[in-house]
Amino acid sequence: MRFGPTRLITVGVVILLALAPFLSPLIHVDISIVNEVLLFTLAAMSANLLLGYTGLPPFGNAAFFGLGTYGAGLSIKYFHVNFIEATLLGTAAALLGALVVGPFLVRRRGIYFGLLSIAFGQVFYFIAYRFTDVTGGEDGMNFARPYLGISNFHVTLHGSGFYYLTLVVFVASILAFKLLVESPFGRTLVAIRQNEVRVRYLGLDSNRFVFVAILISATMAGLGGALFGMLNNFAWPLLMDWHQSGDFVLSVILGGSGTIWGPLLGSAIYVIGKDIISSYTNLWQIFIGALFVACVLGFPRGILGSILARFGTAPLSNESEEANWTQSPAIAADHHG
Amino acid sequence: MGSTLLLEAQEVSKYFGGVHACEGVSLGVREGTIHAVIGPNGAGKTTFFNALSGFYYPDRGRVFFDGEEITRMPNWRRIERGMGRTFQTPSIFPELTVHDNVALGVRSKAGLAFRARPPSGEQQAVLERRVDELLGFVNLVRFKERPVAELSHGSQRLCEIAMSLSTEPRLVLLDEPMAGLAESETERIISVIRGLHDRLGLTVLFVEHNMRVVLGLAEMITVLDRGRILAEGTPSEIAANEAVRDAYLGKEVLERV
Repeated sequence: MRFGPTRLITVGVVILLALAPFLSPLIHVDISIVNEVLLFTLAAMSANLLLGYTGLPPFGNAAFFGLGTYGAGLSIKYFHVNFIEATLLGTAAALLGALVVGPFLVRRRGIYFGLLSIAFGQVFYFIAYRFTDVTGGEDGMNFARPYLGISNFHVTLHGSGFYYLTLVVFVASILAFKLLVESPFGRTLVAIRQNEVRVRYLGLDSNRFVFVAILISATMAGLGGALFGMLNNFAWPLLMDWHQSGDFVLSVILGGSGTIWGPLLGSAIYVIGKDIISSYTNLWQIFIGALFVACVLGFPRGILGSILARFGTAPLSNESEEANWTQSPAIAADHHG
Repeated sequence: MGSTLLLEAQEVSKYFGGVHACEGVSLGVREGTIHAVIGPNGAGKTTFFNALSGFYYPDRGRVFFDGEEITRMPNWRRIERGMGRTFQTPSIFPELTVHDNVALGVRSKAGLAFRARPPSGEQQAVLERRVDELLGFVNLVRFKERPVAELSHGSQRLCEIAMSLSTEPRLVLLDEPMAGLAESETERIISVIRGLHDRLGLTVLFVEHNMRVVLGLAEMITVLDRGRILAEGTPSEIAANEAVRDAYLGKEVLERV
């Protein structure tokens, strides 16, 4: 296992990503699109932590992503912070958002969790949409890309420079994610996904685990969103819309939920596929939709999930998820008193 | 037979809409005994059990564990206090291995389940020893690395018993441990339940409707019928009880004909 397919994938993917600035022109894709893939992936990974590991449908994660974007953008626009400060402030904004909505979400499971996460996500969306004086409303908000802010270097990164910075953050996030899901905490999340009642009957307050999972998920999405904002020098309300959350979830399912690299694969197909197809036709959604249907039929556990399952190393499947779809009284019992 | 009550239910009632699934049931489980709750299908045994273990809370009445009121205590905290339970349909993590199923409980007890840091080598060794000990007790060591979903129903139940022991309880609640098992598997479970009492010194409360098993295993029996207590006593008292015979034994005999 140690030197099995997982490690090979890791090394291969990192090499491929490091060469992306040289490879992407070959398929007529701008490096900023590959950059977008990585940041989209951070949001997809954050959705994967809840969907693939904890067993909760995260249909509001775009709001955390957008909080990262607006958090970074607003602090650049109004407080003229540098790149690193903007990244941290954007991420903190997402974490703060999760601290506010988390206590409500933590008591819901299955479809109720999904619906409530949509509702909270839309609240943030409408704030960005309506609060025109500050956020620019529907038109969005421009801001300049700040200088880096490391010691005395007043450097502003562009193109490949920005990409490699993103790549460093991305690889660090993947490593952190892997350590997290393989830690005792992460294993407990997987157990919650499979059978939350039993987790509770092993003496663990599952809500506490779910709450922390929501916070970590939001932080990750916020980090991706902050960098995404500075990649585009722009923030717009639709980033927070629940359709955007749906795209993240879609990418996770496409690539393979409950796997480390599935979100990257799904996001790459989604973002690059959209970029290529939309350069030929306005009807790109039809083709992406068809691709999605084909993948779900051909790879019921997502592309990577199904491939790993064939090699017998898939850690998870989605078969028991239906059982989690309704709220069990053993979990609800906590909240009557 | 000890004299202190480890678990005590006072007038516990649970209603589902208009259905009185459980009506004013009182019961005391003495420390160190094997106590059985029996009754025909629909007698409210599992409802009562769920109210005792915090699966849901009773609508009326109170529950005490080791002298402390736990009527509305969250179920996970009851486990911390020293309760363990199994379910009619084994409640396991089907895709995880037998080892990982039991290890989660061991980590929980050791206070390691919430950590992002992996356990130290020394901690890990202690955990592994404990997992082996538990699997040895239920005789599942050979299935250690197999996903639980691949095991037979009886072995899944044994795995669940090992899981319920992983948090080092003083009282184990077993909900129909023999349900759906073949004769040979029933014998295995019976000897494990005996072991809980004889070898580990635990207090056991179990629900069962197989009268033969109950009379051979329990020191004290509570008979439920239609949500109420019909009788309580030692196996010989219960076997001789007219009301029990009419309501329960007679019916079972008739069912077998």
